[in-house]
Amino acid sequence: MKVLKFGAVWCPGCLIMKPRWAEIEKENSWLETEYFEYDDNMDKVKEYEVGNVLPVFIFLDKDGKELTRLKGEKDKKDILELLKKYKDN
Amino acid sequence: MSIYKKLIAAIFFMAIVLWPSFAMAEEKEELHFFWQIGCPHCAKEEIFLEGIEEKYGDYLEIKRYEISREPENIKLLQQFGKDLGVDIKGVPFTVVGEEYFVGYLSDETTGSDIEAAILDILGVDGPPAKDKSKIDLPLFGQIDTKTMSLPIITIIIGILDGFNPCAMWTLLFLISLLLGMKDRRRMWVLGVTFIVASAAVYFLFMAAWLNLILLLGFIIWIRILIGLVALGGGAWNLKKYFKNPDAGCEVTGDEKRRRVFDRLKEITQKKNFWLAFVGIIALAFAVNLVEAICSAGLPAVYTQLLVLNDLATWQYYAYILLYIFFFMIDDLLIFIIAMVTLKMTGVSTKYSRFSNLIGGALMIIIGLLLLFKPEWLMFG
Repeated sequence: MKVLKFGAVWCPGCLIMKPRWAEIEKENSWLETEYFEYDDNMDKVKEYEVGNVLPVFIFLDKDGKELTRLKGEKDKKDILELLKKYKDN
Repeated sequence: MSIYKKLIAAIFFMAIVLWPSFAMAEEKEELHFFWQIGCPHCAKEEIFLEGIEEKYGDYLEIKRYEISREPENIKLLQQFGKDLGVDIKGVPFTVVGEEYFVGYLSDETTGSDIEAAILDILGVDGPPAKDKSKIDLPLFGQIDTKTMSLPIITIIIGILDGFNPCAMWTLLFLISLLLGMKDRRRMWVLGVTFIVASAAVYFLFMAAWLNLILLLGFIIWIRILIGLVALGGGAWNLKKYFKNPDAGCEVTGDEKRRRVFDRLKEITQKKNFWLAFVGIIALAFAVNLVEAICSAGLPAVYTQLLVLNDLATWQYYAYILLYIFFFMIDDLLIFIIAMVTLKMTGVSTKYSRFSNLIGGALMIIIGLLLLFKPEWLMFG
């Protein structure tokens, strides 16, 4: 599975989530993630219908199909639970 | 001189000396009180005057003139203004003998002055008034509970306004650009300049509000209008709280954000330091003037609150400075932490969400009080 992370440098909530994701990625080396800066990647923003609340984290399966998405500030625990649930997809 | 003649002369002499006292007992001195329905300071003075009436009622007559319903009373007020050589701009207006009092701050200030003028025309000395609002607290010493409320509410509203995300996004943009620089001195100077310039714009914006409200403050409709703005702003804040349960950042004004970001990039990368310095001030002014509209609610309500408390001119500006300090404190902290750790740091959007909830509730309370019980908002 893969997680697409959409955030912006001007969004305080996105900045809060950055170190949280860094920890998660370090602890789960199998996890593939990609970060998109909202203002610099409008094509991806439109493609994945990011919407108007940031940050957005989109969980994709190995075929690139969306499994689920998270919006706003989330606890590390909630993200880890989702990763556990979808790890084999 | 016979004993009878001496007696008559003594009685005559005493009558001359004591005549004013006798006259005082027969003819009451007058206090003229001009007021208006719906004027909170008039209501406050009325309560004070009722106490005065109880105290000096035997020697003093209080004449009350309501000016919004009786055109003749306005004429009388103008006549008093003419006689006393004063340009009367509003009520309450009180005349005791040849002394006059514009406005009414508190029993301890204006009230005490009025009482002194009354004692002066009655020719007697009164006991010193006991101030019940002062309390002794361990560690803090003597604290005046009446004068403490306004600073506390200033700090609370300032902090709540500070969490408004409208003002923060530009600073975060700037920090992200500054962190890419090698020159740390330049980073600090440009960042601090931006924050100080932003504070200056906010100060000018609030001072303009203050002067507008001071100019129109005696008109009851302005207070009602701001009360309605407070209710509307409060409802909008509460709506934002309930509409954004994810505690995320709302994306608005894509084009504007892009333009500001490009401009910031251009300014911070200027080789000439002074060009960058002036550029950052200009941009801070431009961005904050636009963003000021986004957070117009709380400053407008707060300045109306200040006007209600009828302060000295320097106090108005001192309170605005206090407000701005607490308004900017979260920006300052974010900037300092980022500059010291060289990492971008945000303030959890959960806080800004809660500031929507508390700020919204506070605005609704203040709005209702402005409309129905403005005297409760006078802390001085």
